[in-house]
Amino acid sequence: MLNIDSLKAKIEDKEILKGLNLNINPGEVHAIMGPNGSGKSTLSNILSGKKGYEVNGTVTFEGEDLLALETEERAHKGIFLAFQYPLEIPGVNTNTFLKTSINAIKKARGEKELDAIEFLKLIKQKSLELKFDEKILSRQLNVGFSGGEKKKNEILQMSILNPKLSILDETDSGLDIDALRIVSEGVNSLRNKENSFLIITHYQRLLDYIKPDFVHVLKNGQIIKSGDYELAKELEKVGYEDFN
Amino acid sequence: MENNIKLNFENYLNKKNFSSSQKEIKEISFNNFIKNGFPNKRQEDWKFSDLKQIITTNFEDINFSKKEEQSNIDKNFIIEIEHNKIVFIDGIISKIDFSYEDEQQVVVEQNSDLEKELSRNSLLNLNTAFVSNYTKILVKSGYQFKKPLILFNYLSNNLNNVGINTRLNIKLEDDALLNIINISNENLNNNFLNFRQKIDIGRNSILKNYSLDINENSNFKYSFKDIHLEKNSHLEYFILSKGSKFLKHDINCSLNNEFGSVVLNGIIDLDDKKHHEIKTNINHNEENCKSYQLIKSVLNENSKGIYQGKIYVNSKAQKTDGYQLSRALLLSDEVEFNAKPELEIYADDVKCSHGSTSGNVDEDSIFYLMSRGLSYEQSKKLLTNGFLNEVIEKITNNEVKSLVKKLMGINE
Repeated sequence: MLNIDSLKAKIEDKEILKGLNLNINPGEVHAIMGPNGSGKSTLSNILSGKKGYEVNGTVTFEGEDLLALETEERAHKGIFLAFQYPLEIPGVNTNTFLKTSINAIKKARGEKELDAIEFLKLIKQKSLELKFDEKILSRQLNVGFSGGEKKKNEILQMSILNPKLSILDETDSGLDIDALRIVSEGVNSLRNKENSFLIITHYQRLLDYIKPDFVHVLKNGQIIKSGDYELAKELEKVGYEDFN
Repeated sequence: MENNIKLNFENYLNKKNFSSSQKEIKEISFNNFIKNGFPNKRQEDWKFSDLKQIITTNFEDINFSKKEEQSNIDKNFIIEIEHNKIVFIDGIISKIDFSYEDEQQVVVEQNSDLEKELSRNSLLNLNTAFVSNYTKILVKSGYQFKKPLILFNYLSNNLNNVGINTRLNIKLEDDALLNIINISNENLNNNFLNFRQKIDIGRNSILKNYSLDINENSNFKYSFKDIHLEKNSHLEYFILSKGSKFLKHDINCSLNNEFGSVVLNGIIDLDDKKHHEIKTNINHNEENCKSYQLIKSVLNENSKGIYQGKIYVNSKAQKTDGYQLSRALLLSDEVEFNAKPELEIYADDVKCSHGSTSGNVDEDSIFYLMSRGLSYEQSKKLLTNGFLNEVIEKITNNEVKSLVKKLMGINE
């Protein structure tokens, strides 16, 4: 599904990714762990099309050159990034935003857009599944949301858009145990044979809730080791500093 | 142009049968206008909008005494709010309808007798010279309007290079309530419109005035309001400034007795080469009055926006609360925005503040929205609507709030 081959990325002459390789097949859950500054967020930004990087190497998504697509086209193809710091958008009602988003994607895919009633039904169902207080959806997007609410809102968006590849950028940071469980349950409920996940995290903790199929260690802009869930446990014991 | 305007004025005086005293008032005002001409940038109040130059650039000639005949008019403005109305066509009142109200409580008079006055503002003198029939509305003590009053301004489709002067006086006696909506549907030709209103708000009375300049038109407009507030009265004033080629709002509020309050919020939302200005003058003349102003501007393409806001606090006006904030989004390199906040304070126990910011839309927010499938344009629109929505949310009349959102293309 996603093939990354010798991916290099620079920002203002600083090389952040130095030849990264990664393959993700449908239905797989991959975790990338790494210390601060190893390039984790850069990877998620590049995959979702953030501007400002000088990028080399190839990235294909379902056989298509991903790097040639605009940010919104990637969303239309089924790539979703759950932000580490979801942005506050003053004056924009969360429901309005969600409806605009899902219909933009449906339109691009040539599917029928949702009318107000269908949309509300979907929202109701998803909020219930994720134990998400619906009232929050009539507030301004992320404005005044707690850290946990923002992250849950990201998972709700993911759940509504039902992407093929979800990238979770340190979704666990700033979450208490209860929120962590709800977020994880949300992710797990979306797991199936087709949907893939790339989970970026510092800590093993999240991986106790979302069991990955593969774990990769990212250090100095490269994946230095790959393994299964056991690798995450080992990392937690040894720490990034001494891990080679 | 000057000679033509003089001819216009002679024609106008000959056509109408004014009494000699009225004729004299008009002549004095007219001569004063001729002496000073259209205001230019050397005058502080017109520093950012050089009307003289704007008129010279856009008009070869302006006809101030056109024949009073009307042709086709696009009245394609459907208002779903139940309302009373006064309809102006080419500046002349064509319909007055207060059918929702108690006729005993509202007095509407048409009048052509003006009082003698000379203003430093040459456009007011021009108005006095050429205004013929103006309307006075009196809302009697204790009467609360059941439905809003909409003031429609229409122009005939083929009207071109015409100068129009209108005048309206509104008086709310004590304990009265009135909502006014101004809507105009002018044409796509060059005309110069000079509106003048005087509004008196009596004790404990409330006036809500929503001024909506929404329809695309290529007219040049000046709207002057002189509003006086009595004890414990309240004014809510909202401006949506969007459709006209040139528009200057000149709003003067005087808080003449204790516990009066003014909430004045505005949106300037421009594209193309439009040029709009909001100039306010809030005079705190007595103790314990409050004024709040929030103006947000979104400027695209080659447009120009201006906010000049002055708060004056008289030495008697202790315990004054005066606040103003201007925020602008400048969405192209070619736009110009000028903000001039002014505080003139002669009392020592007051709370006054002002602030002004301008900038572009946040690119990280754009990225966030685009990562959810929205195009760049859609994301920008959502962000700017969100930015303006804060002002719209301050509208306290829910029907008007919904109307404004609909006009702006904002989903609820």
